[in-house]
Amino acid sequence: MKSAWLEKNTFHHSAFKDIERLVGEKERRSLRISVCLPTLNEEQTIAKEILIIKSELMLRHPLVDEIVVVDSGSEDHTREIAEEYGARVFQAEEILPHLETFRGKGENLWKALYITTGDIIVYLDADIKNIHHRFVYGLLGPLLLFDTLKFSKAFYDRPITDKNNIRRPTGGGRVTELMVRPLFSMFFPELTQILQPLSGEYAGFREVFEAIPFPIGYGVETAMILDIYRRWGLDVMAQVDLDRRVHRNQNIHALGKMAFVILKTFCSRLEKLKLVNFSQETFDEMIQYTLVKNRFQPETQPMKGLERPPMLEIPEYREKFHPV
Amino acid sequence: MNRVFQNLPGLPEKIKALKDLIITNIVLLGQIPSPTFGEKRRVAFFMDRLAEFPVDECTRDGYGNPIGIIRGTSEGLPPIFLVAHLDTAFKEAADFYYMVDKKYIAGPGLIDNTVSAGVLLSIPMLLQRLKWRPASDIILAGVVQSIGKGNLLGLRHLLKTWSTPIRGAICLEGVELGRLNYYSEGMNRIEIFCRIGRNPVQNLDHRPNAIIILNETIDRLLHIRLPQKPHSRIILGKIAGGHKHGESANEARLGLEIRSDSDEMVRELRSEVRALVADIAQRYKVDLKVKTISDIHGAGLAYNHPLVKSTVEVMKQLNLKPIREPSESELSLFLSNNIPAVTLGLTRGENPHMENARIEIEPLFTGIAQVLGVLAAIDSGVCDEKRVA
Repeated sequence: MKSAWLEKNTFHHSAFKDIERLVGEKERRSLRISVCLPTLNEEQTIAKEILIIKSELMLRHPLVDEIVVVDSGSEDHTREIAEEYGARVFQAEEILPHLETFRGKGENLWKALYITTGDIIVYLDADIKNIHHRFVYGLLGPLLLFDTLKFSKAFYDRPITDKNNIRRPTGGGRVTELMVRPLFSMFFPELTQILQPLSGEYAGFREVFEAIPFPIGYGVETAMILDIYRRWGLDVMAQVDLDRRVHRNQNIHALGKMAFVILKTFCSRLEKLKLVNFSQETFDEMIQYTLVKNRFQPETQPMKGLERPPMLEIPEYREKFHPV
Repeated sequence: MNRVFQNLPGLPEKIKALKDLIITNIVLLGQIPSPTFGEKRRVAFFMDRLAEFPVDECTRDGYGNPIGIIRGTSEGLPPIFLVAHLDTAFKEAADFYYMVDKKYIAGPGLIDNTVSAGVLLSIPMLLQRLKWRPASDIILAGVVQSIGKGNLLGLRHLLKTWSTPIRGAICLEGVELGRLNYYSEGMNRIEIFCRIGRNPVQNLDHRPNAIIILNETIDRLLHIRLPQKPHSRIILGKIAGGHKHGESANEARLGLEIRSDSDEMVRELRSEVRALVADIAQRYKVDLKVKTISDIHGAGLAYNHPLVKSTVEVMKQLNLKPIREPSESELSLFLSNNIPAVTLGLTRGENPHMENARIEIEPLFTGIAQVLGVLAAIDSGVCDEKRVA
C-alpha cells in the first residue's frame, strides 16, 4: 500500500496559525463558517469552548460566523450556560420536529445541517477540557488554503515519529486500535493512513455533509469516512495534528457499546458494497455482563444502528438551501 | 483628573463588554502550568499574547520577566508599572483545566495569581476600547519567581536593572475586591528542618523523632516574648513530616514567618529563633537547621499619601469599602525602592490556595475599573510630589 496520502495530506495545526491569512481566504472565496457543538450534559466544559472560539475566532479575527449548540436533552445547565455565552442553542427534537425523534450525537450533527448557515461546518465534541482555538483554525486551514480538500479530521498527541525517528504508537484509542484499524486493514487498507478515524473533531464543506447519510449514534465518524471515501476518494480528505486533547475517559462497557454500533455501521457499508454477504441477519442488541453479588448479570442494550438519510433528501432542507 | 476617573461608576459596564476576551485571557493563561522556577511556557504565551493585542513594545528582561510597554502621550514622564506574578503554587501534574460557568471561573492557581495576569494581558485592549492613551508609558510586567522560594526574585531583578525613575505602581492580586495595601511589614520567612541521621549504635526505638523535635521547637517559639510596639508576630504557617503511621519520623519541617512593623525587631526575633534552634539541636543531638526563604523590609505610604487618598476615592465611587492591611508581596519591593505603590484585589473568591480555587466573574469588572481608576489617578500626578514615607 502506498502512503503518499499520509505524507501529502497530513498537517500540523501550527501551519495554519496565521489566522488573518485564513480570514483573507475565507473572504476571497465568500464563505461562511459555522462551528457546531453537539451536547449532552456538558456544563463543565461548554462555556469555555464557546468563550474561547468566540473570543479568538469571532471577536478578534472574523473567521467563524456562528457557534451553534445542538443539545440532546441535557439535564444539567448546558443549554442555559451556552446561551449566556452567546451560542445559538437548539434542542435536537425541535429541529425538523415532524420527523421521528432519535437521540444521539450523529442525530445532532445531522440536524445541525438544517439550522447552521455555513458553507463550511466545523464539528467539535463539547467535552474538550483543554480547548484552544487551534482546534478550529487547525481544521479549517486545509479547507481554506487547498482547493481540492473538502473534509479535514483531527488527530492528537503527535503520533508521527519524533526527531530521532523513534517509533511511537499512533495515539488512537482502544476502539480504534482493536476494531476500526483491523477492519480498515482488511477491507480498505488505504484508510489506515487516517490515524485517528474516531476523533470527534472534523470540518467539511456543506456539499459533502449534506450528501451523505448520518448514523444517529457513535457510528457517525466511521460512516462519514467510508462514505466520503467511496464517493469522492481519499484525496479530498486531510488530517491535522492538533497536539494534545484532554477529555473524560469512557469505561470499557461504554467503549463496548461504541464498538458494537461502529461494527454495525461498518457491516452495513460492506453489505451495500457487496464486499461481504452475511448468511443470516445480525442482531440489534449488545449484551454485556456485570458481576453483582457474585452472580453474572446480563445487561442488554438495544442498538439498532439507525441512520438518517442524506440531508439533501429532506424537502425542507432543499427548500431552504437549494431553492429551485 | 482625566475623563476615565470622572466616569468611574459607568466603567464596569463598559469593561463587561469585553467579558469574553478577558475570561479567555485568564483561561488560556491559567491552563499552562507555571510552578515557581518553571514559568517558561507561561512566559512565552504571555509574550505572544502581548504582541498580539498589541502593545507598542514587547520584550523580556535579563531575568526572563515578560514586559509589554504601552507608549504614553508625553515623552518626559516616568512610566507607571502594572504588575502581576506569573508563577503559581501548583506543580505541572495538577489538573490545570479551568471550569467556567455563568457566575464563576474555577481552577488551580486562579486566585494566586492567574486572574491578575489575565487581566494584565487585557489592559491594552481595554485602553484601546476606552480610547484612552495615558500620558505616561504603561509597563505591563508579568514577573517570574515571585512566590514562596521565588522570594520576589523576578521583580527584584526588574527593579534593580530598570534604568529610569518609576512614577508609581499598581500590584494586582486575585482577591479580595476592596483590598487596599499601601504598607508592608518587615518580614522574615524561614523554614526549620529536622533530619534524624542514621546512628548504628542507637536502637531504632531510642532514636529521636523529628516530629517530637519540632514539637519542642514550637513550644519554645510560643514562649518568645513579642512586643506590642513595634507590633510583632510569629506566624506558624506550614508543617510536614514523617513517612508512615507506625514509624518514628526521620524528617520534619516547619514553615513560619516573623513579621513586625520594625525591621530591627524582625532581625532580633530571627536571632532568637536561630539561638533556640541551635540549643535544641545541641540538646537532642539532631540535625536541626534554619533556612531563610524570604526577607522583606517594612515600608509604606502614609495613610494620607495622595495615592492612598485617590485609591480610596476610586473605591468609594465604585461602592467598594477599602480593607486596609499590610502586604508582603511585590508591593514591598516598590515601597522599599521609594516608588509609591498599592496592591489591589480584583474580585471575590474562595479556596485561594487549593486546586478548586474559584472566583466570581461579575465583580471582576468593578475590580478592573478600580485598577483603571487608580492608573488614571497616578497618570494625573498624584504620586509626583510625595514619595514613600
